Amino acid sequence: MRAVHKRYLREFFPAMLAYVILLFLSVGWLKTLEGNLARTLVTLLPVLPIAFVIRAMVRVIRDQDEFERRIDLESIAIAGGIGAFGFFTYGMLLNARVIAAPPAEAVAIWVLPVLLGCFGVVKCAVRLYYRAR
Amino acid sequence: MNNRLRELRTALGWSQADLGEKLDVSRQTVNAVETGKYDPSLPLAFKIAKLFELPIESIFTPGE
Repeated sequence: MRAVHKRYLREFFPAMLAYVILLFLSVGWLKTLEGNLARTLVTLLPVLPIAFVIRAMVRVIRDQDEFERRIDLESIAIAGGIGAFGFFTYGMLLNARVIAAPPAEAVAIWVLPVLLGCFGVVKCAVRLYYRAR
Repeated sequence: MNNRLRELRTALGWSQADLGEKLDVSRQTVNAVETGKYDPSLPLAFKIAKLFELPIESIFTPGE
């Protein structure tokens, strides 16, 4: 494994671990916490490590070699398109009341996981595409 | 674009990983360039030419 990817893992896994810990802490704490400002701060605690995850992703994309970067950027573009298309389609169906509307927060909270999930799947496909071409 | 990268590399007895290390790119990238799946940027092509001490045009030639 090249140094740039080792650094990525060193940055990614602690940030994800911090996210999980802070998420449990935040959910538990919110049950007893009063006051809007305090609840806002505690709610946003797990978001901070996610910013570090995104930072790690940006750093690895910038510092890896040009072919790896091409694969990542193509994957992000395609995954972004698929994710946006999916949410747009879902929004149209919700708007037409064809399907039952979930709470807004349930939709918003899924945007990042859907994009990252799409990125992971698309990246595998793009790598296979370049291997088979 | 066609290239003689594999021929030049094997003539020196280097693996794709060895060449990748010398060029500071991954083995996957060396393989993609060698098999013509990926055309390198001009800076990488110059780096390759410098490493093999050959002019770029003797390594990379236009494809059909």
